[in-house]
Amino acid sequence: MMIAFQHVYKSYGRGINNLVDATFQIKPGEFVFVSGPSGAGKSTLLKLMAGLDLPTRGTILVNGQNVGELPARSVPYLRRAIGTILQEVYLLDDRSAFDNVMLPMVVAGRSRNESLVRVKAALNRVGLAEKSHLHPKELSGGDQQRLAIARAIVNRPSILIADEPTANLDRQSALRIADIFRDFNRAGVTTILATHDESLIRDYASRILFVDQGVVIDGGRRMPGSVVMGGQR
Amino acid sequence: MKSWLPHHHYALGVTFRRLWAQKFSSLANIVVITLALALPLLGGVVLQSMQPVARSLAADPQISIFMSTEAPEADTQAVAQRIQRDHGQDIIGIKVVTKAQALNELKANPAYGQALAVLPGNPLPDTIVVTLKGDDLVRKSAYFVKTWQNFNGVELVQVDSEWVQRLEAILRFLKTTLVFISLVVVVAVLSAVFNTVRMQALSQREEITVARLVGATESFVRRPFLYLGAVTCGISALAALGVVTWLTGLLNRELAVLASSYGAEFALRLPSWPWIFVFIVGAAGLGALAARWSVTRNTRY
Repeated sequence: MMIAFQHVYKSYGRGINNLVDATFQIKPGEFVFVSGPSGAGKSTLLKLMAGLDLPTRGTILVNGQNVGELPARSVPYLRRAIGTILQEVYLLDDRSAFDNVMLPMVVAGRSRNESLVRVKAALNRVGLAEKSHLHPKELSGGDQQRLAIARAIVNRPSILIADEPTANLDRQSALRIADIFRDFNRAGVTTILATHDESLIRDYASRILFVDQGVVIDGGRRMPGSVVMGGQR
Repeated sequence: MKSWLPHHHYALGVTFRRLWAQKFSSLANIVVITLALALPLLGGVVLQSMQPVARSLAADPQISIFMSTEAPEADTQAVAQRIQRDHGQDIIGIKVVTKAQALNELKANPAYGQALAVLPGNPLPDTIVVTLKGDDLVRKSAYFVKTWQNFNGVELVQVDSEWVQRLEAILRFLKTTLVFISLVVVVAVLSAVFNTVRMQALSQREEITVARLVGATESFVRRPFLYLGAVTCGISALAALGVVTWLTGLLNRELAVLASSYGAEFALRLPSWPWIFVFIVGAAGLGALAARWSVTRNTRY
């Protein structure tokens, strides 16, 4: 199993549970949409998957490792195996697109030559090779998303997690971004996308996890064009 | 281990980029820390330069015991023997100068010869000159003066090198003051670096978040800040050394004039190279320590 949640609860205090008794599994190579209304707990779920947060209760297994029991010094190494794109893209404005993508290479301690090859390949893959010298502020919203994706994939992760990567993008840009994720998934990368864009889920139909008021409902696999509504727990 | 060098190379690059990005603020910090470090360094230079002078002047601390003019020579010898017996361990030498010997020595000096010739008798007393040894001479001298003053036939006990001992006492006081000033400077430097790193950590929040997102260890996140503290303090220490070197040259010109008027030579000297190395490395270490403390506290998000 790539990712397994077993009776996971997450609370940020004051007795409000952002995630309630979440239990599901994601197999290697799956393309999973996480859907639900704003504030339902989608981002919380993704942060827990990415090792960016710890559960209040329950067990999360990622790549066979129990996230909750990992020593603090091992967590960064888990994160390197997961490409994460948060809702806010967090690009560094003081450096070029190329240097933004270079950061994970530096963090991982890759050699200069290997890093150059990988960064160029990642930028090429998301269609930003021609704009690698530009700074994030000089890029469009769609290009910024692509840059965040390039940064997430440059370390060749086995899991790709993206939180609302198509939010605030026009339909055409959103489809281009979704195509990129589909291509990665076809290359064998387990891909988890949070979105409340139902048309995107319909067009790229795969497995769906609905989140509503912290409750995760496994919607099962969908066929392209099928109606996306409800689901069974 | 393979990534150790690239990580440090990257951290150093980030440090200088951040310093340059806020050049005026960085410069202001360096100036403040430079002045703070220059103060104890200059104090150390003055103390270090004065100590050998005091030591050479106090090489033969002596106490003169003047007997009463009526005291017979036997009493003088008795006092000398008692001092030798009771305090032999604190004494290098003891010399008895009888009134006759003293008169003859004076008469041998043409300046006094004529004046002494007209005197009816010998007005000089027998004298015992005691040369002390060991440490803590100020306390010992005071004790000997008090004790020997009560010996039979003694008129006056006088510490010949009292001013040198006072100088030593002043130097000890200055040394204590310097230690205190150094402690204050350490606290000031720690506070300055702590605050600088705190501001940097807040302004680099996004970069820290991204680094953690892509799997940076906490050491990787902290390292540029540690370098920032170390580089800021290291540069400040070098600048402080420059300031003190310049001041020492300036003061030495004035001191040379003053010392030559006393027929002496005196100059302020910079510490030896090993001490300078310790000073610079110590300052850089202090900066890194403050940065570590600050970054650990201010990047918990």
